[in-house]
Amino acid sequence: MSDLDPAESALIALGLPLIASIVAALLGTAKLGKYAHWPVIVAFAAAAAVAAGAMLKLSGMTGESISASSASLTWFQAGSLSVTYSIALDPLSAIMLLTVTFVGTFIAIFSASYMHGDEGFARYFSIMALFVFAMLLLVTADNFLVLVAGWEGVGLCSYLLVGYYHAKPAAAAAARKAFLVTRLGDVGMILGIFLLWQLGGYRTDFNGMFEHIATHPDTHGQLTLACLLLFCGAVGKSAQMPLYVWLPDAMEGPTPVSALIHAATMVTAGVYLLARCAPLFVLAPDVQLIVSVIGGSTAFLAAFLAMAQNDLKRVLAYSTVSQLGFMFMALGTGGLIAPSLAVTAAVFHLFTHAFFKALLFLGSGSVMHAMGNVIDMRKFGGLRKVMPTTHLTFLAGSAALAGVPLLSGFWSKDQILDSILEAAASGGTYAGGYLIVLMVAMGTAGLTAFYTFRAYFLTFWGTERVPEEAHGHAHESPAMMTIPLIVLAVGAVAIGFAVEPLTHAFSDFLGRTPALVMANEIAKAPGGGHFDAHEHPHFNWAVAGISSAVALLGVFLAFRVYGNGGPEQVPDGLHGVYTLSRNKLYVDEIYYAAIVKPAELLATAGRQIDQFFAVLVRLVGSVPEFIGAAVRPMQNGLVQFYGLGMVLGLGVVLAVVILRSTR
Amino acid sequence: MISLPHFLIVGAVLFGLGLVGFLTRRNLITMFLCAEMMLQGVVLNFLAFGKYHGHLGGQIAALFIITVAACEAGLALAMFLAIYRRTKSLDSGVWQELREDRIPATVDTDPLPTFLEDPDPVLTPAGARPIRAEEEVRV
Repeated sequence: MSDLDPAESALIALGLPLIASIVAALLGTAKLGKYAHWPVIVAFAAAAAVAAGAMLKLSGMTGESISASSASLTWFQAGSLSVTYSIALDPLSAIMLLTVTFVGTFIAIFSASYMHGDEGFARYFSIMALFVFAMLLLVTADNFLVLVAGWEGVGLCSYLLVGYYHAKPAAAAAARKAFLVTRLGDVGMILGIFLLWQLGGYRTDFNGMFEHIATHPDTHGQLTLACLLLFCGAVGKSAQMPLYVWLPDAMEGPTPVSALIHAATMVTAGVYLLARCAPLFVLAPDVQLIVSVIGGSTAFLAAFLAMAQNDLKRVLAYSTVSQLGFMFMALGTGGLIAPSLAVTAAVFHLFTHAFFKALLFLGSGSVMHAMGNVIDMRKFGGLRKVMPTTHLTFLAGSAALAGVPLLSGFWSKDQILDSILEAAASGGTYAGGYLIVLMVAMGTAGLTAFYTFRAYFLTFWGTERVPEEAHGHAHESPAMMTIPLIVLAVGAVAIGFAVEPLTHAFSDFLGRTPALVMANEIAKAPGGGHFDAHEHPHFNWAVAGISSAVALLGVFLAFRVYGNGGPEQVPDGLHGVYTLSRNKLYVDEIYYAAIVKPAELLATAGRQIDQFFAVLVRLVGSVPEFIGAAVRPMQNGLVQFYGLGMVLGLGVVLAVVILRSTR
Repeated sequence: MISLPHFLIVGAVLFGLGLVGFLTRRNLITMFLCAEMMLQGVVLNFLAFGKYHGHLGGQIAALFIITVAACEAGLALAMFLAIYRRTKSLDSGVWQELREDRIPATVDTDPLPTFLEDPDPVLTPAGARPIRAEEEVRV
């Protein structure tokens, strides 16, 4: 395997889930559905191994920027536009590839046990493999069209998986919502891509297009518009304000699907897109501020909403939205600080987040499994003794999410805060804006710790309470579910420390992505951003200290309020806040009143007008119908009658001829 | 002296008789014969005008009409035969299927007799009957 070219490895890693998907589907039709998890698990594991090999190979390459691309097949050609099927592997996509396949493997193992005995078992695994395939296609694509193919594939598979229990109306509605809301963003993204083609001299490969745009400065603000449109796509896919509403509802799918969507295959796509397009966003500082501000407000809003949810999975869902907001905050700083630094912070957080969020979701799946599919935290509590493994791994995940020092989430969140701080201190045009973003980020970090540990305490501490639905045999989940939890917990605890703070291996590797090298050069050029020359992350003691203090304060507050476990008590004076949070700030209701209702009214009005015209047209159409009805009896099929008709006609003709000739 | 009007009058009488027959009779064969009669009236007109003008155009047209009438006769009689086989009747009123949709069939208050009892004519067998062994027919 070691003699494989990285691009070939990428192709193999891409092909394996696709084959697994087809095989799983065939097994399902061949009534061997209960074995459908095997091809998928094997393919994911093999793809992860291949991806790891490719990554090693890639990191062994020399040069300031490293990438490998496959030979390309022409897809279609029109005028000066030529689109190819091309796959490229650079550090950015290699990291995504490895994260997706690695986390995906353990989610697949977990699902095999979690979904055991479900009648749609083969369908589930087939779509799951297709989902991973689409995501891998997205991250390895070397041009926008292939990327869009993966992007839409991810959207389709998320629709299918969220709506997995399609007989359940709530699941069907959630699937439709997920599809339609992300589609809103996709429209913007497609338009942005069209605009970029034009700006990029109809070159389609990413780096060629970026280079063309960098060397042909545009004067009409079109690039800003294009970046804004691309960001629309990212907002939809990565569940940012105002399009985040689909993600909490996506909890209607099976729990491992949530793990997959939140950790690996779907919501990270937007972050990846912005990281990939860093050279463009550097040229649009206005958009960068918008990205940061949207990220910041999303992070805060979602953390606020997570604070009082009763559904364990919903807490986690909002925390994902919030953490994605953190990533966007970091992405938006590129240009004021070295773009590679900003992207590293975001992608590093994406990487660690994949571990602890997958862990938390699988942990909540394990809880749900034991509690007879009950996920409402008011109905259970004190599960520490019942489910020791789940408890410990969930604790590890919560601590990592909360940013407890030395765990994965701490390092990556720290990098994000650090990059925002530097952007605020850079003295650029919008430095003041970034200062506000920084404060929001700090506050959100505290809220994150609070709501995460609220969920943890309510679930695992206090007196033991088990809902009736568990039928009295609440127990620890089988090994096939706990082993993935343990592996991911190890990742959540240690992966951040292992790859970054001492060696800077992660940032060095990622920094060699051609697009990021290019972005750095663009930003350094005169007229670009203003930032200190250093392009390597450094550990900022002040930021780390403050963020740890905030995180620990959040944990402590959660302990004070919820340390006894449930039933939940609302702190005095915060009832209003809790009610707002629990009702999701009425955002769904506002969207319904402001968007859905007018659209429905418009549709009703349109239907009325349509019916008016339909009546009008039918009226015109009925005139010949009446005439036809009047003369129809003449066609009675009697030969003599026809003959008489002819004779009479002849008589009339003769009469006219004779009258005219005698006159 | 027989002049043009005499011819025309005879032609018109032929045509008129044919027309009245066509409209009043229901037997398909009689109707067909009436139609032929109308054709002959027309042919007579052609011939008369041809003689009157002194050229052969009328006669050529007459020949054409006779040819067409022959073809028509063959075709029409074949069709009548087929019709007769299906309904055992030569009444033109029996055939109303080509009327418009949703128009009720005209009810014939005085239909022509049908010959259900009467089979198609069969030639009298001639010569000696073949001798057949009397066998039990097994069912």
